[in-house]
Amino acid sequence: MSDKFALIIEDEEDLATIFSEALKAAGFETELIYDGAIAERRLREVYPAIVVLDLNLPHVDGNQLLHQIRTDPRLGNTRVLIATADAGMADMLTDEADLILLKPISFVQLRTMAERMGLAMS
Amino acid sequence: MILTLFYTFYLDISNAKESELLPSLYIGSLAMLGGIALIFLINRYGNGWVASLLFLFLFTFAIVFTSEPEMLLGEYMFYLTIPILMASILVRPWASFVLASLNTLIIALTAQNIQVVLPLPGVLGFYLLALVSWLTAQTMEHALRDLRDLNTQLEQRVQERTTALATANQELINANARLEELDKLKSRFLSIVSHELRTPLSAIQGFAEMLQYEVYGALSPKQHNALARIIANDERLLNLVNDLLDQARIEAGQLSLVNVTFPLQGLISDMESTIRVLVEAKKLYLRIHVADAVPTTLYGDQKRLQQILVNLVNNALKFTQQGGVDVHFYRPDEGHWAVDIVDTGPGIPKEAQNYIFDPFRQIDSSATREHKGFGLGLAIVKQLVTLMGGAVTVISEVGQGSTFTVTLPLISPIQRQ
Repeated sequence: MSDKFALIIEDEEDLATIFSEALKAAGFETELIYDGAIAERRLREVYPAIVVLDLNLPHVDGNQLLHQIRTDPRLGNTRVLIATADAGMADMLTDEADLILLKPISFVQLRTMAERMGLAMS
Repeated sequence: MILTLFYTFYLDISNAKESELLPSLYIGSLAMLGGIALIFLINRYGNGWVASLLFLFLFTFAIVFTSEPEMLLGEYMFYLTIPILMASILVRPWASFVLASLNTLIIALTAQNIQVVLPLPGVLGFYLLALVSWLTAQTMEHALRDLRDLNTQLEQRVQERTTALATANQELINANARLEELDKLKSRFLSIVSHELRTPLSAIQGFAEMLQYEVYGALSPKQHNALARIIANDERLLNLVNDLLDQARIEAGQLSLVNVTFPLQGLISDMESTIRVLVEAKKLYLRIHVADAVPTTLYGDQKRLQQILVNLVNNALKFTQQGGVDVHFYRPDEGHWAVDIVDTGPGIPKEAQNYIFDPFRQIDSSATREHKGFGLGLAIVKQLVTLMGGAVTVISEVGQGSTFTVTLPLISPIQRQ
């Protein structure tokens, strides 16, 4: 996988599309996943540079996925960007995220964040 | 009947032993035993018949054993009235007649035994007394019955009240349970509404922005203009929804502060960038003044402080047509920092100053149409400031502009640990 690969894990398809477009605009290749359980499997196969992660997901929640990423040595360089509407949930994360964005997240805001991360990584 | 037979028997004995004097110790013991038995029986059975009859016979035997039987017809006859009174009180009013008849029988037997004429005035006296005690006891019984009735009624009323109280109590418990249930529902409702309303609004905003940034291809100036309106209206709707949700969260006690250390300059520049469009559109000025005493780094809920400032400054700009708004950051004392928002607007009438911080209130209904919104901005400001342990006040006079002051406790990073 390339350095510019981003995984968007968000069950609201419209929001996932916006996040994906913002990351594409920042120069990333993207893959969209709408379900926690599928994300859990996919995270064992790919090496995303950025994961945009919703917390409230079907089957496996974002907090568990964050823990999976943080405990997987393969994903040591993966940046995790939490996208949630619930500030309280963001407070209760068991592992450290690189960035927490509170919804509503604007296209421009996310694109700017992703561009900065992309620059920092290259 | 048996007792009567015994009596005659003993009377005969006592007649036979008339000359012999029975030891007074023996008689005394007998009387004591009788008295104990009497008390025991009254206590044990509470039976008026037993008590009055026993009294009568014990007395009679005592007289017959100790003295001359004729004494019963003479000076001791008076004592026979006692069981009549006892029976009327302890048994039934009419029992006095039974005892009067027994007395008559006793003195008749005695009279026959010692062969004297039955003293008729005595017999009449017994019946007269029986009549009087019957009347007295009946009156007493009526009074007692009334009292008993009253008591029963009282008990009934107490019972009714107790039942009513228990029912009311149960209803309160049920109502409380329903309230708790409602509270849970309210929380659930809040999180659902928060998610369901904001998600589509964010999606609209996101897609409109993508179009605006020509992610999907170039746009004509007219298309850009239409998009700008879509985005502006979506933002307005999003802000209204956020205000409503904030108000609901505050009311439900679910709004908690997320305190962080942040630079004052960040707060100011974020506020300026949010407000700039409105300031430029209305051709007003916005001047920021920061006193040296204000620390460059503050501790608190940056997002909510931002919201407070933007709300107040927005409000000031909304009502100001000429001039502008000055924002002063300063330190009123060692333990506090404060912000004054001074506008050159129309001012707020004194009576309105009492309710401008109430939710859903605006100075007049025409203002709502002119300026739009729910009138929640100041209410949320006040509630947030209160939650932060601070205070918000207003000084204003019609035609002289308004000054809103927010005072907040200054928490140093050392103090918060």
